[in-house]
Amino acid sequence: MKPTDKLKLVSQLIDLPLLDKDRRWCGVVDDVEFDGGPGKPMRVKALLVGPGAYRGRVPGWMFWLVTKVAGSRISRVPFNQIDTIGSAVHLRCPAEKLGLHAVENRVRSWIPRKGAL
Amino acid sequence: MNPLELTLGIMTAVGGFVDISELVFAAKAGSMFGYALIWVFFVATVGIMVFGEMSGRVAAVARQPVFNLMRHRLGLKLGLVTLFASLVSTLITCAAEIGGMGLILNYLTGLPYLVLAALSGLVLMASMWILPFKWIERTYGLLGLLMIVFAVSLVAIHPPWDRLAGGFVPQVPHGLSTKELLAFAYFTVAILSAVMFPYESYFYSSGGIEEQWGPKDLLTNRVTTTIGFGLGSLLAVSILASSAQLFGPANVGPEIPGSAALEAAIPFGPTGLLLALLGMLFAVAGAAVETCMANAYAIAQFFGWEWGRHKKPWEAPRFTIAWIALFLLALLIVMTGIEVMSLVEYAVLFSIVVLPLTYLPLMLLAGDKGFMREYANKWLAKGLGWLFFAVVTAAAIAAIPLYLLTSGGQG
Repeated sequence: MKPTDKLKLVSQLIDLPLLDKDRRWCGVVDDVEFDGGPGKPMRVKALLVGPGAYRGRVPGWMFWLVTKVAGSRISRVPFNQIDTIGSAVHLRCPAEKLGLHAVENRVRSWIPRKGAL
Repeated sequence: MNPLELTLGIMTAVGGFVDISELVFAAKAGSMFGYALIWVFFVATVGIMVFGEMSGRVAAVARQPVFNLMRHRLGLKLGLVTLFASLVSTLITCAAEIGGMGLILNYLTGLPYLVLAALSGLVLMASMWILPFKWIERTYGLLGLLMIVFAVSLVAIHPPWDRLAGGFVPQVPHGLSTKELLAFAYFTVAILSAVMFPYESYFYSSGGIEEQWGPKDLLTNRVTTTIGFGLGSLLAVSILASSAQLFGPANVGPEIPGSAALEAAIPFGPTGLLLALLGMLFAVAGAAVETCMANAYAIAQFFGWEWGRHKKPWEAPRFTIAWIALFLLALLIVMTGIEVMSLVEYAVLFSIVVLPLTYLPLMLLAGDKGFMREYANKWLAKGLGWLFFAVVTAAAIAAIPLYLLTSGGQG
């Protein structure tokens, strides 16, 4: 479906994996950010990606543990960067543009580029 | 897929089906209860066929591996609990496989077990780094086919075929004491767990994604899971039946993994023994690779990292770090000197507890027409899926009490 279609946040968006324009895995929809206010319509403004977005979704001790292991970063994916939503969320742009591959690229520099056929 | 690829895929599934836990429990079950537990292998094999087919179909149609879906279906909190439990159970299984390799090499060379286990682990890691994924899978899977010597040995010792065939009928032997009945129940649960290890569906479905399966591959998926897993399970049944014929009447308890190899030595002498040990070595090595990769797949998919062994190690860096760390951790467990048999017991125990949590989201997704369109579960897959879900849930509830009551199936 297109992001402009009506969708159920919990069953059709939250915890879906993200694939960027080049079909690379680049995170999971960990939470969403809303736009709006009292008396105004609520709209999803951005997808929140990263272990920092687990706050409030898991018990405190679990959040503490996860952030100790995986850090507490959060990346924001503007809703207009979503192309389609299905069994994964497909993005319109490369992961790097949204800061989604920052850790992946940092860890890449640790791996020697030799020996593999 | 062309016929050669399909045949190779089936042969790889056959050679890679048996692992250290099945080897151990098949030999012990035959010695303790004759042919009476063959039906459990049969039932569990149908179970892994059902869930294996579902995971492959979901990979082909929804293009999502099991762990991505599990988190989406179970939610973050329960998903994290399931991830942790799966990691622990599969890590112990991986350690048991590496320990098993060390033991088998010890039988072959006489060198110290721990040194050989460490060497095995390092060789496996090097092969995982150097070789493309398909080569790894095919090498260990096809060399594991040497285990066919167990089926040939069974034919050579002329078992009572009528009694063996009777073992396929669900039964509880008559005249068992309460203690023996509990041990029988423990073996039933352990065999179910050993055949239906959760890592098998993580690994299988991730492989489907890596090979970019689509709906056109559904027939390949069905054939591989039914024929490949079915023939693989026959090897385990051969070990059980030979044990029932050779060890049971002589009151021999095959307490170490290598005992099973003697089944091939009796009809074929040293050649049979060597083939059996080599077959076991490669089958167990394949399982060690699968368990390690399955854990790395699980972590990477849960957190949405780049993953895949069709990529070069630096193309999926966090995934690479994960499988290296998990392999080293498994090796560290082996280096503590804990007995391989204890690791096997813990592996089946933890795995059966995790199984229902793994299979429920998979089944829900395979039945979801929103994702699966016309390929969603039909009445047969739905019926068998729920039936096996009930079976593994009952087994999960019974596993720990049975383990404690029987001191690990001592009877």
